[in-house]
Amino acid sequence: MMRYKTGKVALSGLNMDIPQGSFVYLVGESGAGKSTLLKMLYGGLRPTSGQLKVQGTMIRGASEVQIRDLRQRIGIIFQGNRLLFARTVFENVAMPLRVQGWDTARLLPRVKKVLSFVGLEDRVWSYPETLSGGEQQRIAIARAMISNPPIILADEPTGNLDEDTARHILDLLTALNKLGTTVLMATHDLHLLTSHPGLVVQLHQGALMTGQKP
Amino acid sequence: MKHLNKQSKSRAKQTQKRNGNRESVHLPGGWNLPPFGVHQFLALMIVAVALWSVGLVWLALQGGQQWVGSWQQEVKVHVYVDQKQKKTLTLLQQSLEQISGVENVRLIERVEATVWMEKWLGGSDLDAEGFTKHLPESFEVTLTEPREEGVLLRIKQLAEGKGAAVNDDEIQLVQAGDVLGTIQNLAWFATLVLGSAMALIVSNTLRMILLARAEEIFLMRLMGAREWFVRLPFVLEGLLLGAGAGLLAWILVWPLLWVSESWEQGLGIDLSGWMMFLPLIFSGAVVGTIGALIATTNIVSPENEG
Repeated sequence: MMRYKTGKVALSGLNMDIPQGSFVYLVGESGAGKSTLLKMLYGGLRPTSGQLKVQGTMIRGASEVQIRDLRQRIGIIFQGNRLLFARTVFENVAMPLRVQGWDTARLLPRVKKVLSFVGLEDRVWSYPETLSGGEQQRIAIARAMISNPPIILADEPTGNLDEDTARHILDLLTALNKLGTTVLMATHDLHLLTSHPGLVVQLHQGALMTGQKP
Repeated sequence: MKHLNKQSKSRAKQTQKRNGNRESVHLPGGWNLPPFGVHQFLALMIVAVALWSVGLVWLALQGGQQWVGSWQQEVKVHVYVDQKQKKTLTLLQQSLEQISGVENVRLIERVEATVWMEKWLGGSDLDAEGFTKHLPESFEVTLTEPREEGVLLRIKQLAEGKGAAVNDDEIQLVQAGDVLGTIQNLAWFATLVLGSAMALIVSNTLRMILLARAEEIFLMRLMGAREWFVRLPFVLEGLLLGAGAGLLAWILVWPLLWVSESWEQGLGIDLSGWMMFLPLIFSGAVVGTIGALIATTNIVSPENEG
């Protein structure tokens, strides 16, 4: 269960197990608890009761160091991509590795490699504001995957994109999933589920919809 | 591909120029030093002026201490008795010795006075011994350490009551030394107050930069950055800003020293600007670091956003 300090219960009665390598869609109306669940998965919020285990880390009782270690093994993609517009694509994408202490000499080849995966290897020295919305989201994907995390959490990554671009973004996430990465994606775009199948977890008012058990 | 990279780089430069963004300085370990902007420049100037004024107070104190000279270490007062009253010497010596706060009273021998006179005449052909004959008898009164309050007044009153005289210049020097002691305490107080103000200015500046970079800090934390990874660039910036202000303050000390050179020579003071180099830079760095530590003590990231 997750209860905010205000007393509002954001999530309750959730019981599920997501195996490594799955592609999971979190769907539900606004306020259903999708974003809250994603935040709990990276330790941004802690359950007020019950148990939540991510990559062997019990989130509820985890120390700050454990949460930090866990975050280094998780890639996060936001709806608004949250790129740093005063920094180059290189600096944006390289940030997770800088945080992990990689030296600059090793960064460039790795950044170029992930940028070529998302098809933007020629934009390494560009600033995000010179890129389209779809390209910015691809940069966000590159940033999330650069440290080769076993899990990628995506909070409505296609929310602001047109259908074609959204499909392209999902192609990339599916490709990552095929490489063994667990992808958890909160979305409203239910039509994407037909072209890119995966496990669907439907939330309603902070609880799993009846009959749901991934 | 090379052509594309070149194009992309030049476009990036143009964008950077248009945005007025500056490249961060990369440090070993993946740290970036925040870019130097107008806030830092203003803070640098303010801290430099504050450090400069503190530096001047201490320089002035140094000058004052040089002027007062050895009186700071061992206070001695001379009492003069006219040769006509030579018979009262023993009584006066005994009375002086009985004053509370007087450690020792020594009658200066004629031979010693002659040596002093020869030195004073600077080895000229004048008859030092002849001059010495006309000098009054002198007592050298050594005071206890720490000096008792009112001892100088007691010596003066007793000496004058018995027809002797005290060297007033020496008393004034001792009093000047006392004033300098008070000024030194005030200088410490001013240093502390200005130091705190400087630390708060640096802290405030860095706080503004932290606010401007809140998103980046939030992302770094989200990616599992250690707390010191987030804080260290700002602490380093504070240190550099303070040390830079110290250097500027030190440079600003020189014109004043040059202007006051003739005045210094008149008072027999030799003030060195070089002496202020390390203290100003070191204290600037300390103040900057403290300011940065205050600024980064509690960086709150909006965990509940996004």
